[in-house]
Amino acid sequence: MARRFLSLFCPDVTDDRLTQLVEWCDRYSPLAAADGSDGIILDITGCIHLFGGEDKLFLDLQRRFHRMGIQSQGAIADTWGIAWALARYGEQSIVHGGNAASALALLPVEALRLPYEIVLELRRLGLSTISAVRKIPRSSLAARFGSTLLWRLDRIFQQAEEPLTPWRPAAPYRASRILAEPISTVSAVEYVLHDLLQEICKRLERNRLGSRHMDLACYRLDGTVDRCEIRTSKPTRSIPHLMRLFEGVLETLKSGFGFETFVLSVLDVEALHPTQLSLSQANPVEDESSFNALVDRFGMKLGFDQVNRIRVRESYLPEQAVEFRSAAVSPIAGAEWPAYRIRPVRLIHPPMSIKISILIPGGSPVRFFIGERQRRIVRLEGPERLTAEWWRDSNSRWGTRDYYRIEDDQGLRFWIFRDSSEHWFLHGHFA
Amino acid sequence: MSHPTLQELRDQLGCLEETQRRFSRTIPIADAVDRWMPHGGLPVGCIHEVKGASVASALAFSSILSARIAGEQGNIVYIAPDRSLHPLGLLPYGVRLDRLLLVSARRSQDIAWATMEALRCSQVSAVMAILDSADLTSSRRLQLAAESSGATGFLLGPVTSAPIAAPITRWKVSSHVGKPGQRFDEPAWALDLLYCRGGRPGSWTIEWREQRLNTLFNQLATQTTREALAG
Repeated sequence: MARRFLSLFCPDVTDDRLTQLVEWCDRYSPLAAADGSDGIILDITGCIHLFGGEDKLFLDLQRRFHRMGIQSQGAIADTWGIAWALARYGEQSIVHGGNAASALALLPVEALRLPYEIVLELRRLGLSTISAVRKIPRSSLAARFGSTLLWRLDRIFQQAEEPLTPWRPAAPYRASRILAEPISTVSAVEYVLHDLLQEICKRLERNRLGSRHMDLACYRLDGTVDRCEIRTSKPTRSIPHLMRLFEGVLETLKSGFGFETFVLSVLDVEALHPTQLSLSQANPVEDESSFNALVDRFGMKLGFDQVNRIRVRESYLPEQAVEFRSAAVSPIAGAEWPAYRIRPVRLIHPPMSIKISILIPGGSPVRFFIGERQRRIVRLEGPERLTAEWWRDSNSRWGTRDYYRIEDDQGLRFWIFRDSSEHWFLHGHFA
Repeated sequence: MSHPTLQELRDQLGCLEETQRRFSRTIPIADAVDRWMPHGGLPVGCIHEVKGASVASALAFSSILSARIAGEQGNIVYIAPDRSLHPLGLLPYGVRLDRLLLVSARRSQDIAWATMEALRCSQVSAVMAILDSADLTSSRRLQLAAESSGATGFLLGPVTSAPIAAPITRWKVSSHVGKPGQRFDEPAWALDLLYCRGGRPGSWTIEWREQRLNTLFNQLATQTTREALAG
């Protein structure tokens, strides 16, 4: 099947607005990109039937741009190059395969999108139209202009692929709704979202997949797009769970004059095999009261870096021994912690500098001060020597540390250490 | 022992309050404490407040109870405003680190929200939360959430913090000077039951040793017990 490109020329917009418009054009095709600083290119192959034909799609686009007050010209053709040329210099707006050569024939050489020097050179030689350039044998063109001109011609006339880099990778699963009337209330958006989720989840189920990352794009009347994303810690396709996650973020949408189109994309999928539903349970296993759903709600509201699982690392240094892993990433097995290395329940970050009184130089401490308050040490265990790990420079601050477990006369238990320069620090509290 | 008629009346009142159903599941704490508690142990699916002379003690004591509730498979959720918890320090108290979920939230309303959500989840065994305060309404809501899901909530804080409005039990854990040679991961505590719904306050000295909580019968504890029995 021939590919179809839509090129838009909108010379009056700023760069920021252009980026916004590219995002907005996503409603027509997921393969949209900015084309230079004054245009947009869309690969609309396979999207045309959704709008009832190329002419309808094109009309719709023009109408909307007109309503937004943006001057634009556009064209649809088989290659990016032809569409670009027609949008800027042509008269026809929709051109099919065989007619392309004749449509381009009389266009000026500027329409070839060549560097300025080459255009000047061509003009100087009297080659002012595309058809004039094409009449010259390739070998002569190559001798005179190098490969640039031939390369452009090949791309325009489909002898070579011109790859399009969309403004973001196309989502593997996508569903859209175009509404007859714009809507602005959250409950109305929820209604549309539920509909979209049903469609997407059915497709995910058929392929035994679950979503990890979803994105709802809401297209506003004024040509901007508002988005809300949800992420989950485990793949899911449970509609009540996803709806509940969306509930929290839908309120952040700013509807303005209203939303007219919604596109739900699944940006990240993972395998999720169907589970046997239990007969006794009213709800399926993966309902919103399950633990995974709870982790997702935490992650969505507080951020997934605030929701952690523990992994024990192969290190005895207290700062290094434990990794707080985000609950969103899949767990990996940790090391086994030796029970004889007794650790406090709470750590102080960073270790607090304390004063110690010692009877014999180099001996064990008998009293210590936290601020002004003096505490008598009645019980002491240690030292447990932890040497700095030379392969990590960030930890060489204290050098070799001698840790003591101490108890004061009130029964409070502390973890203190002496660094290599004989300074003392309080590092933790025992229970 | 109390008079049989009195006991009968108490049971009838209990039925009216639905306490029988609510406190049907309990876990053991320590022998002497269990005998003291009106339901023979710590009721599961309830809100308990644990204050500590240091938060570390309150945390370790609730970890022991949480680990007992969770067993091999149950999930424990810990919710706190900071990351001062050192998970390796909980290992001696029987907590399985692969079953522990740590949630940090700076704002107190987020902590309250997270506690509520965790208590609502039926796949959570125990929730430990460092909560600033909870008024009567929010405390009731936490209790209802715990009852509906069967999760047990431990609301932790230093003794200086404001008490939670209506817990089922309120404990105070203070450190107790250890014997010479006592391990630092097997500490002794002075345990006070400040409030217990349907029961009486009490005090014990307990020690965590070889994965068991033992009551130490020192002078103070026997005295309070004797007083309580007499009264």
